[in-house]
Amino acid sequence: MIGCYDFCGHYEWTFEWLSQLGGHTLVRAYWDEAVHQDSQTHASKLIREKGFEGMKEYWGPTLADEGAVYERTVTDDVFRIDMHECPSKGFLLRNGLEQYRDYCDHCMGWIGPLMKDAGFVIDHEHNHCGQCWWEIRRKDDATPASAAGELSGASDVRLRPGWQSPHTDHYERSTDPDDKTVVS
Amino acid sequence: MASSIPASLPYADTKPAGHADFYFAVNATFRFILRHHGEGALRKYWQDIGQSYYQPVSKRWSELGFAGVAEYWRAFFAVEPGAEVEVSEAQDEVRLEVKTCPAIRHLREHGREVVPNFCQHCFFVNEAIAEPAGMTVRVCGGNGSCTQRFMKATADLPPQNLEDIATAS
Repeated sequence: MIGCYDFCGHYEWTFEWLSQLGGHTLVRAYWDEAVHQDSQTHASKLIREKGFEGMKEYWGPTLADEGAVYERTVTDDVFRIDMHECPSKGFLLRNGLEQYRDYCDHCMGWIGPLMKDAGFVIDHEHNHCGQCWWEIRRKDDATPASAAGELSGASDVRLRPGWQSPHTDHYERSTDPDDKTVVS
Repeated sequence: MASSIPASLPYADTKPAGHADFYFAVNATFRFILRHHGEGALRKYWQDIGQSYYQPVSKRWSELGFAGVAEYWRAFFAVEPGAEVEVSEAQDEVRLEVKTCPAIRHLREHGREVVPNFCQHCFFVNEAIAEPAGMTVRVCGGNGSCTQRFMKATADLPPQNLEDIATAS
């Protein structure tokens, strides 16, 4: 049986299996169709119907159940997460599992299309070491991403020593997993 | 760092049990492969994941025999939320009596459409794990409860009849 205890391990393995079968196009389709539109329909529903409140209702219990160490900052205009210990990437790092070229892309792979459908855009950056940050705003809100410490104070993951070691992938007002630039 | 999880599991986490909503993604993955590439590709996915991702399990079963099989499944179902499974070990087989399949249970509780051949994955994945260890598995039942027997692979053993595995709903 394929279980849920080590889900992140076989999930990551599956990205590479799909990539070898149908290339990057198939992996992108998997994140959108299988994850966003099938597995995570409960998240889509909450966020489409309730906006920022729905994000709180979805990510609160989910990240607690997964054992994440993170800080959430929510105002009337932005939903921000500072992820200090990603339970998913952390599992892979602790167990030495790395089949796919960038596991972290899967989050933008399903959350991006979800937010696009719900009318939001994303500023996001991940460092491939289990730390990342997200700022989600309504698509008609042109406010740029905050400076380090501006929104979440000392909890801002960008203030961690070695945050950009060796490099980060950065997304600006995006909803597309391929719409990233490398920052080092 | 992990954990109190027994060494019989190949990959250890820091949390005491899995997050059951991940069964949604397992089910959705099967549906996606089936829709895009058909049943043959889905069976190959199950065989490949058994041979590759679960290779450490095969290795342990090769080393420990039936004791390793029994120990693995006891540890496995202990961290799958909602599982009710009895594992018994005899001289010539290890038998799993799955009284409540945690995946089918969670998918049903949340009104998810279960892929009809969902339960076949237990045969194809487990057979791929067992084969390198000189073992084989036979699955009977499904759709929430089943029996799985792990035995030495011998030429006189009839092959798995897939009609013995129930359609999931």
